[in-house]
Amino acid sequence: MDPAKVAAAQQGDALALDQLLDELAPYVRRLCARIAPAAADDATQEALLAIFRGLPSLHAPEAIMAWVRSVTVRTAMRLVREPDQELAAGPTPADGSVPSFEGLADIDDALARLPPSQRAVLVLRTREGLSEQEIATALGIPAGTVKSRLHRARAAFREMWES
Amino acid sequence: MNNPVTSPDIDPIDRLTILAAALPGAAVRQRQITAPFEAVWRVVADLEQATPRYEPSVAHVRVIERHGELLRLLVEDTAGREEIMDAKLRPGWCLMQSATVVVAFAARPLGSQTLLAHLEHRRVRAPLPSQSGSHHRRAAEAKIDQELQTIERLATQGRP
Repeated sequence: MDPAKVAAAQQGDALALDQLLDELAPYVRRLCARIAPAAADDATQEALLAIFRGLPSLHAPEAIMAWVRSVTVRTAMRLVREPDQELAAGPTPADGSVPSFEGLADIDDALARLPPSQRAVLVLRTREGLSEQEIATALGIPAGTVKSRLHRARAAFREMWES
Repeated sequence: MNNPVTSPDIDPIDRLTILAAALPGAAVRQRQITAPFEAVWRVVADLEQATPRYEPSVAHVRVIERHGELLRLLVEDTAGREEIMDAKLRPGWCLMQSATVVVAFAARPLGSQTLLAHLEHRRVRAPLPSQSGSHHRRAAEAKIDQELQTIERLATQGRP
């Protein structure tokens, strides 16, 4: 991402904004579809609105991708409609339910059945290639929490995939 | 069915909403036009002939460069002043910008009709007291409503 183009967009250059939107939208959509598959369209639009509204507040244009990632992931997490079992009750779901293994179609399907907070860390680690520290920054949580969520997410995913 | 992970394009109306979010003070209105998308877009995309008919401050528009979707326009206002505008034009999306203004159109089909949204934004604006700011916005929105009505008339006149 060209920092000069980002800076022009921050100054209200509409054609630079338009080009920035073309470059950012596929990434934002991909993250939203993987983290909030049931609300991908809404999450994408809300995340892009938040990004473009907040663009002037970005102090370092060269850091735009990390900032976009953080805004997008937090927006997608907020819009996930299913109850976040892990956040509610830790490793044991509050209602005693476990992800359903029936009719599992593919890896994306398996990811979609994880609790959102586990799905987010697993997607960011395995699909986006982020480090645990980068995930912690994106989600605004401690690195230790990322590590424990990753451990639980991998175990749940493995159990689903191998069943 | 589209795969949401790879689905490429943003709906033009959504795109206009996002652009407006980045342009504080931009005025945006939309109208359901009783004409098919192709007829509406034929009017919007005909920058040289149609713009002076719906934009009261514009006397002439001439396309002086064209590279695919990117255009450069020479716009003369009714007082005879000329200004260069850079533009991006593709079906459903038209964005034009000069040193002083941003103008955008977005459209999508609604069955046999069309949803058309229009944005205007003044890039250089002296700070206004809040009351005159809201007055200015209402005036800008009324102007856009008038332009959308004119575009509807032009689009429906072109019907067989």
